[in-house]
Amino acid sequence: MEGKITTIQRLSIHDGPGIRSTIFMKGCNLRCQWCHNPETFSMQPQLQWISEKCINCGKCVEVCNDSAFTINNGLVQFNRDKCTTCFDCVEHCYPNAIQQIGRTISADDLFNEIAPDFPYFNTSNGGVTFSGGEPMLQLNFLLKTLQLFKQANIHTAIETNFTADWSKYEAIIPYVDLFIGDLKIMDSKDHKRWTGLGNDIILKNIKKLDKTGIPYYIRTPIIPGVNHSAIQVESIIQFVSDLNNVERFELLPYHPLADVKYRNLGIKNPLQNTKGLTNKDLEIYNPILKQYNPG
Amino acid sequence: MKSLDTFKYQNRIDKLKTKKLNQTLEKIKYEGLLDEDDYGRIVPPKNHWESISNHEDGSFYGLEGWTTNFCDLMRHHSTYVDPNDAFAGRWMYFMSRMRSNKWNPDYPYDHLQPNIDKYDIICGIGDDAHFAPDYKMGLKLGWQGLLNKIETYEKINTSEEQASFYDAHKRAIKSIQQWISNHIETIHYLQEKETNPQLAKNLKEMAEVNQRILHHPPQTLREACQWIIWYHLASRTYNRDGAGGQIDTLLQPYYEKDLANGTIDRDKAIYYLACFLINDPIYWQLGGPDKNGNDQTSDISFLILEAADKINTSLNITIRVHDDMNEKLFEQGIYYLLKNKNAWPRFSGDKALVDGFMKNGFDAETARQRIAVGCNWMSLPGMEYTMNDLVKVNMAKVFQVAYNEMLSDQSAPNTTKNLWERFRKHLSSAVNTAADGIRHHLKYQKFNEPELILNLLSHGPIEKGRDVSDSGAQYYNLSIDGAGLAVVADSFAALQQRIEDEQKLSWEALDYHLSSNFEEQDGERIRLLMRNSYRYGQGNTIADKWAEEIRDLFSDLVRNQSDAAQQHLFIPGFFSWANTVGLGQTVGATPNGRKQHTPISHGANPNPGFVADAASLALATAIAKVQPGYGNTAPMQWELDPSLAKQEHAALIGSIIKTHFAQGGTLINVNILDKNKVLEAHQDPSKYPDLIVRITGFTAYFSMLTPKFRQLVVDRILEN
Repeated sequence: MEGKITTIQRLSIHDGPGIRSTIFMKGCNLRCQWCHNPETFSMQPQLQWISEKCINCGKCVEVCNDSAFTINNGLVQFNRDKCTTCFDCVEHCYPNAIQQIGRTISADDLFNEIAPDFPYFNTSNGGVTFSGGEPMLQLNFLLKTLQLFKQANIHTAIETNFTADWSKYEAIIPYVDLFIGDLKIMDSKDHKRWTGLGNDIILKNIKKLDKTGIPYYIRTPIIPGVNHSAIQVESIIQFVSDLNNVERFELLPYHPLADVKYRNLGIKNPLQNTKGLTNKDLEIYNPILKQYNPG
Repeated sequence: MKSLDTFKYQNRIDKLKTKKLNQTLEKIKYEGLLDEDDYGRIVPPKNHWESISNHEDGSFYGLEGWTTNFCDLMRHHSTYVDPNDAFAGRWMYFMSRMRSNKWNPDYPYDHLQPNIDKYDIICGIGDDAHFAPDYKMGLKLGWQGLLNKIETYEKINTSEEQASFYDAHKRAIKSIQQWISNHIETIHYLQEKETNPQLAKNLKEMAEVNQRILHHPPQTLREACQWIIWYHLASRTYNRDGAGGQIDTLLQPYYEKDLANGTIDRDKAIYYLACFLINDPIYWQLGGPDKNGNDQTSDISFLILEAADKINTSLNITIRVHDDMNEKLFEQGIYYLLKNKNAWPRFSGDKALVDGFMKNGFDAETARQRIAVGCNWMSLPGMEYTMNDLVKVNMAKVFQVAYNEMLSDQSAPNTTKNLWERFRKHLSSAVNTAADGIRHHLKYQKFNEPELILNLLSHGPIEKGRDVSDSGAQYYNLSIDGAGLAVVADSFAALQQRIEDEQKLSWEALDYHLSSNFEEQDGERIRLLMRNSYRYGQGNTIADKWAEEIRDLFSDLVRNQSDAAQQHLFIPGFFSWANTVGLGQTVGATPNGRKQHTPISHGANPNPGFVADAASLALATAIAKVQPGYGNTAPMQWELDPSLAKQEHAALIGSIIKTHFAQGGTLINVNILDKNKVLEAHQDPSKYPDLIVRITGFTAYFSMLTPKFRQLVVDRILEN
């Protein structure tokens, strides 16, 4: 049983309690335009070119059969349109300027890779968090891996967009200690406009999860020009406040740090010129939070 | 916790802090940059005292030479009294550096010099201090009690040499008493001139305190602190001794007695302790188990932390972490670490230190008393002579000798297996030379530099009439540190991975690039190939395995130098102090992609940039795993990311510290530095004159460091 992941982030402190290892799964069914993990959109491996690391040795030009790399005036240039993602260039790029994003890994190997950090989980009440991407797209792998961690008595969390069929959530519930999900926009049409999908199934799944009694976090990323308004935020908070088992509700300020990832992957960043927000910027919503007290 | 504005002595503390900052600037102005501890030392008066030679080479040696010089310096030493301070005295002179030669040429070690040069060994011959006095003894006896003790034993040990020995120590004590008397005169003089009644009262009390402890043991907290200061200043002046002790238990009885007598309140205690700490950044331990395993934390442990917070300058306080520790003290320590971001306190791990030391044959009671009192080191106060942090084998240089030998030998194939055998042979030779250096030192140090002041608070030298370096001590637990672990481990791993496993290049091709410092055609590309190989610290890689192999080899070689008949126990550690720059200068380019003459890796730390992110856990796991494990340290130098270093994450940071120690870690030094601030300070040190960094075990003002050393700190932070 193998899964596709981009990376494992150790000492993750924002994806659940304690010290955690967050596994970023590759592949997502949403296209949130503010996404800061564009490398997880596709389930296929991708080629990342970090021009700042390039020493212009020209080895990639020599080995590329697609002529995707050229060298002009001593500077290497990359034409992504010509690249067929054979990844032959990667092993010849000693400065690691060309990298393959995405690898397959077995459940056992994933478990073993994270195992050295178990002592830190134990002293901090931490654990593992499956994020992405959308982990539910790789249900079988997810299930197998969750079972391994639970057998080892490791706290498990999953970050999901709640778009999967409820039966899939039912399958993993016995092995998940904490769910973390985004609630981005309440209006379904707006949701579809900014993420590619409406939110009807999301809201239904959240309500179903609420009835199970399992603890979960709801997080709302606040994006300028998307949902950064009192009306939008209040509608979300109102929904959340009607739920019974939300352990934590958070507003997360948009940050533009992913721009460099979009550039390195050759993906257009829809919010390229959008400025980031700070926690202080979100204090304007404190009266609404105080009024509804949503978890 | 009281807020600053209600603290009665804040004004005085502010003035002392400002003065200290000015004293640091003055030191830089008159003495230049220095890659060392701040020490709390101030600039002595110009041309005020010069050493007295007793040898044709212009230096001074032996008991008579040192006693004459010390007593003369004490006699002529300027006094230092500040009406805002609770205590008199400041350290001014580096007496041990005021001589033209460190080692008495009558006891040459020419036979060791070829290997010392070949392997770039810091041999420690002629180095001093680096073991701990037993302050408890000094506080119990006082100066007169120490004189009485000497008089008792000089009647028992009556050889001519012993008579000279005792006479020298009596002269030393009397000169210290004279020095204190001179201060009392200055205090009276300033008291008469002082117009502020509060400060005049402070001076009057200061004079009374000093008058009482001139002969008698201290009775109050203020007297105990002042007594420790005098002893310590004398010892610093003599030979830079900076060892501390278990400061909370040392001061606890005096504080509690003052409380019972109604002569002290909380603010006054904090004021005394703040003045005590600003005097010198001595290595003090807080908390930890007593010899029976019970936690020693008391109210004064917390007051010491609070006082440290009030002055928040260069400080070397270590909190001992153990299973039954006072969690509040631990949490309070982390709180101040994160609040001030000034690299204090440090944390030491009781479990590995005690278990490791017991493997040398000591019982648990003794092992628990071996506490954090030095830069990277533990010591049994008053009981052992150690040469801690003085002897270092540059393993990167040893590696290079082995590598060059293999490449120039056409009769055997170039393989990592072959290289390892040669490394083993040369490391064995290097460790043997280092140990021979220690043996030479022990044989002749009394003729070079006897430990006139540390002998006083050691158990044995006075009783036996022998210098602590000359069989006077109870134990000889001798330290040899390995330096450059990560450079060697990563080099072996890069050779194995790139040449042997992947066959990406040949030995000859790599040798060409090493010889040309990766500067010829394709050099940088090959350097990056080697640099991006598996690296020690990543966990379960071949580089981590090499690091463990090197650890096992080095530990065995050092321990094999032990000699029960001589009562010499050799203990391995991994520490490089501030020598990473100097040791790197003798080493050419290495197979891990390190360029020639650049610094070697620090202590047991992996090379900077060893993992892409979240280095903290990888670092903590790797360093815990690679400990030699016999009670000496391989500290974790932790450049803590400012985004993690927030109070809201205090519990997580505490978890990392505890887990490191649970896995075998011994000592953690933490820096929390803002990258932009450090870069600005590197460009213009005067912009942040109070920026403090923990270089290794010690802290220093960033502005006092040489540009080369500042660059090292910057690289460390940027790459992590």
